Amino acid sequence: MTARFRLRQAWIIARLEVRRLFLSRRGLWVYGLAMLPAALFLIHGIDVQYRLGQSRRGGIVQPAVVEALQTGMTEQQVIEMAGKPQEDRQWTRRKWEERVEGGRKISEQRVAPARRMIYFDGSRRVLLFFEDGLLRDINKYQILNFPEDREVFAAIFQYYYLRLAVFFGCLGVFLNLFRGEMMDKTLHFWLLAPARRGVLLAGKFLAGWMAATAIFAGGALLAFAAMLWPHMGAEGQAYWQGPGPMHAFRYALAAAAGCAGYGSLFLAASLWVRNPIIPAAVLLVWEAARSFLPSLLQKLTVLYYLESLCPVPAPLDPEMPALLRLLLAPAEPLDPWLASAGIVLFSAVVLRAAVAGVRRLQINYSTD
Amino acid sequence: MSAQEIVFENVSKFYGDVLGVNRVDLRIGPGLTAIVGPNGSGKSTLMNLMCGLIQPDRGEIRVLGISPRDPERLMRITGYATQFDAAPRWATGFDFVVSGLLLFGYSTALAERLAWAALERVGLTEAARRKVTSYSKGMRQRVRLAQAIAHDPQVLVLDEPLNGLDPVVRAETIALFRQLAAEGRHILLSSHVLHEVDSISDRVVLLANGSVIAEGNIRGVREEIRERPSQFLVRCADPARLAALLFERAPVAEVRVLEEEGALLALTRDRRAFSRVLTELAAGGVAIETVVPADENVHAVYEYLIGGSA
Repeated sequence: MTARFRLRQAWIIARLEVRRLFLSRRGLWVYGLAMLPAALFLIHGIDVQYRLGQSRRGGIVQPAVVEALQTGMTEQQVIEMAGKPQEDRQWTRRKWEERVEGGRKISEQRVAPARRMIYFDGSRRVLLFFEDGLLRDINKYQILNFPEDREVFAAIFQYYYLRLAVFFGCLGVFLNLFRGEMMDKTLHFWLLAPARRGVLLAGKFLAGWMAATAIFAGGALLAFAAMLWPHMGAEGQAYWQGPGPMHAFRYALAAAAGCAGYGSLFLAASLWVRNPIIPAAVLLVWEAARSFLPSLLQKLTVLYYLESLCPVPAPLDPEMPALLRLLLAPAEPLDPWLASAGIVLFSAVVLRAAVAGVRRLQINYSTD
Repeated sequence: MSAQEIVFENVSKFYGDVLGVNRVDLRIGPGLTAIVGPNGSGKSTLMNLMCGLIQPDRGEIRVLGISPRDPERLMRITGYATQFDAAPRWATGFDFVVSGLLLFGYSTALAERLAWAALERVGLTEAARRKVTSYSKGMRQRVRLAQAIAHDPQVLVLDEPLNGLDPVVRAETIALFRQLAAEGRHILLSSHVLHEVDSISDRVVLLANGSVIAEGNIRGVREEIRERPSQFLVRCADPARLAALLFERAPVAEVRVLEEEGALLALTRDRRAFSRVLTELAAGGVAIETVVPADENVHAVYEYLIGGSA
């Protein structure tokens, strides 16, 4: 048998197996994990479009007028400059005030008129707070905030998608390849094929990787599109004609690389260990503790390579607890090409170790 | 070791503390060999060992000179219809056989042609496009057989291949086995019913408690207990009508109709004639679902051979 024939066999095994993986009832929850960010960004996009539409219908003031507003102005001055507000609410505010009279502190309640006006300048909502007829506070916030949405996307992708969704999704997909078939009592079909066990392992891994990559890289791209959708004005167009496509590619690449790295580990674990939950828990802790490891050991984690493939660094909240900040702190970045080669090498080494497991694999339907 | 034989040399297999097979020495040549033994005697273990689905704890196995640890070469010359009844949910009978053939490196066109030929040989062409999960037990048995023979193997291993087959299909299947054996192939089939296979086999291997207790042509042994009548449980749509037909045509000593179970119990001294009549009736349109032996004749043979410890 030639190497070319064995490669073809592995490809046939992958083709036959991938259909089962996509339609597996046991793995339907994986789609939920993968599509959650896309669903969240879609809901956010619909909400933003709704609020923008509502704000536009209420009238738009020039941004220059908004910039000219200053605290201390009277209600009348503001209305003369900016016109009738979109929303206008008035109420009275009761507050206790203290004064000293004859060496004694006297507290007395005072009633002060309060008012809130809201304007819209085309992209920002401007909230003006008045007290006693004078402008006390000006709050402006972007309904559409592209840089913020990109940062949120980067955070969701790194902290949820790579660390949890791809991790547990691969656990579901790759454990099914051998152990799932053992439970379904269908594994003998593959073991009776005229193929080396190593070829069977390669074919099954390829099937798992194709299925997981289609689900998770697809999910990442869908989420990216959903994030971009409300911004497809000038800002979004500029981004799409600039770094946007490369960013989308690198997010998809990071998801695919995650599927290869975690997939190879879970596939090997399913061949070596009867209860896969234990190695999964150990791996989760190992990956999470990556920041505490010396740099050589960091290279033995999947996240080390995945973080370098992400195009936008994930933001870290400065008010986050110190331990959590340490756990989420990114490793020293690698060149993306090196990171890609690293994850391929990492997966190949793990799969090579798994070959010994698949060679000693026996049908044992009664106890699995 | 001979490249023309299936050889087991001092083979033992344990499942934890449970014995699978113990110190089995066998040499099996071309022709039809039946492995017979009661449930749990080690028949499936022996077959699984031979095809590499499990590995021996001790001893060595060679199939025409090839080790079961080399599935790439072994499964090219071997077809195995297992007793495992599960089938992939996605597969039709045709897909099931074709997908197995694609792994041999055949082109899709050739694989499809071979699959049709195999399905035709087992009489399953009409149901070929239906999902395997919708098949009856007998049809699933036949589709596994089709997959095992589709690549024209030199060695055919069949674990309880006659289970669940109706009398007509059973007769056709036995004829197929005979034909394949006559072509010089090694056909190895298992059964827990001795008289089901002793008349069609060139050689019988009797297993009990994981050990080979007898091998060779044991028809002589079988003849010694021929004096005892055999009892069969026949499941059918109309037991009363079938009982009348059997009294009329078959050498039966007694027939008891079990209306509530949709079955009848027949006692006969001439099993072959009884089987022939049943086959004729089924071919003539009488609805017969299954025929199973209901007495302990197999155990009688074991008792004879191993002194009552089976």
